[in-house]
Amino acid sequence: MDTTTQFVGIVLILVALVALVVAAQVQRRRQQAFALRPIPAYEALPDLVGAAIEANRPLHLSLGSAGLGGNSTLLALAGTELLYQVAQRSAISAVPPLFTVSDTTAIPLGHDTLRRAYQARGLLERYRPGAVRWYPAGPRSLAFAAGLTAAMGDDNVSANLLVGSFGPELALIGEAAHRRDQPLIAASDQPEGQAVAYAFSDQPLIAEELFAGGAYLSTDAAQVGALVAQDVLRWLLIAALVVSAVLAAAGGG
Amino acid sequence: MARITRVLAAVIAIGFGLITLAGLLVGEGLGFLSAFVDGLRVRDLAGLFLQLVVITAAVTVLIGVVNLLLVHLRRVRQRACGWVYSTVLLAAAVAVLAATVLERAGVLTGDPPLTRLLLEDVQVSVESALAGLLLFALVYGAVRATRSQRFSGWALLFTLALLIALAGALPLPELAPLAEARSWLLAVPVSAGARGILLGIALATLVAGVRVLIGQDRSYRE
Repeated sequence: MDTTTQFVGIVLILVALVALVVAAQVQRRRQQAFALRPIPAYEALPDLVGAAIEANRPLHLSLGSAGLGGNSTLLALAGTELLYQVAQRSAISAVPPLFTVSDTTAIPLGHDTLRRAYQARGLLERYRPGAVRWYPAGPRSLAFAAGLTAAMGDDNVSANLLVGSFGPELALIGEAAHRRDQPLIAASDQPEGQAVAYAFSDQPLIAEELFAGGAYLSTDAAQVGALVAQDVLRWLLIAALVVSAVLAAAGGG
Repeated sequence: MARITRVLAAVIAIGFGLITLAGLLVGEGLGFLSAFVDGLRVRDLAGLFLQLVVITAAVTVLIGVVNLLLVHLRRVRQRACGWVYSTVLLAAAVAVLAATVLERAGVLTGDPPLTRLLLEDVQVSVESALAGLLLFALVYGAVRATRSQRFSGWALLFTLALLIALAGALPLPELAPLAEARSWLLAVPVSAGARGILLGIALATLVAGVRVLIGQDRSYRE
């Protein structure tokens, strides 16, 4: 890594840190300091949880191939934050949410998240370790998709929330969800998976929106601060792109 | 006690995270930062931590296998929906495990080995069949995307782009202008959109990483 890249990396981390801390503090002192734009998928999620509780059916959440220790570590953490919010809301249900992963490193993460969600509601006795399931992925994750389509039918899931790392195999899962009339919310960090997710989802999530679940589903100031920090970085990136384009055009002229 | 455990876990995670980040990010030519990292051999420590991660990840494969077997054993015991398939899965898992052990012990011989046959002739074939099905699922998704949207400018644009992309891929000389339009679509708007999505995810990942490093993640606070 050259010196410029190292320098830019350190500056970006520092900017994110400052923006995050300041925005979280402002949000703590003045609730509603930052207005969040509506995201239909997160607006629909509480209703999906309610419908699952009423129907006594599980809600299905999947991280796909996201797991700890690799490039998708933070995506896995964002996905489990969503699991936490959903599990906390549905803790009163007799049927726990179904959490599926294809990366084995996500199994302990899923267990810990579910346990904490039930503990937070004081219903730890309802926590079921069997709610976290590993479906092995073949070379193209097709075996994982096949396993999921079977589980969605066998467990008669109420709705599917697929937020993580998926490729085109998401189409098999999406098609199975529609065949069984199960609502689907999906998003992926892979462009191919994201395209399929957009086509199949009732309420699609796009790109960084899959990291925003915690801020939209809780009142946590730190989560809202993270969204503000993202926006600050986004504006800086836009400015850098415009300036570099103008400089390149001027240099070329 | 629980609070002390939480604080200790947070301190360990934050400490390890910062050391690994410094080891990976700070190289030569950054003045006192480089001297600090060199002096404390932070890069060696980061390398060691990453090796530990690889070993831990390998151990979790065992956790995965146990999870899989327990889930399906429970299904068979409770006669849950699809328990017959769970029985087949358990039988297959035991058979493959036994075949691997016997092969390693030199009891089961054959060329090619049975386990390789199972992998190449069963697993790969089944996955290839699924890949074939994927095509139909993708076409279904494309049709659904064009039908489910209410009529609007965006829906019209989406359908038009889809038609150009499909028709432009046909090997007909009469459709050469469409092929050019398709190439432009893929090279400019599609490429720009994909980069935009990836940049958005990268920024969100960066912020999420900083949150973890400063102990704002929920797992440290509860």
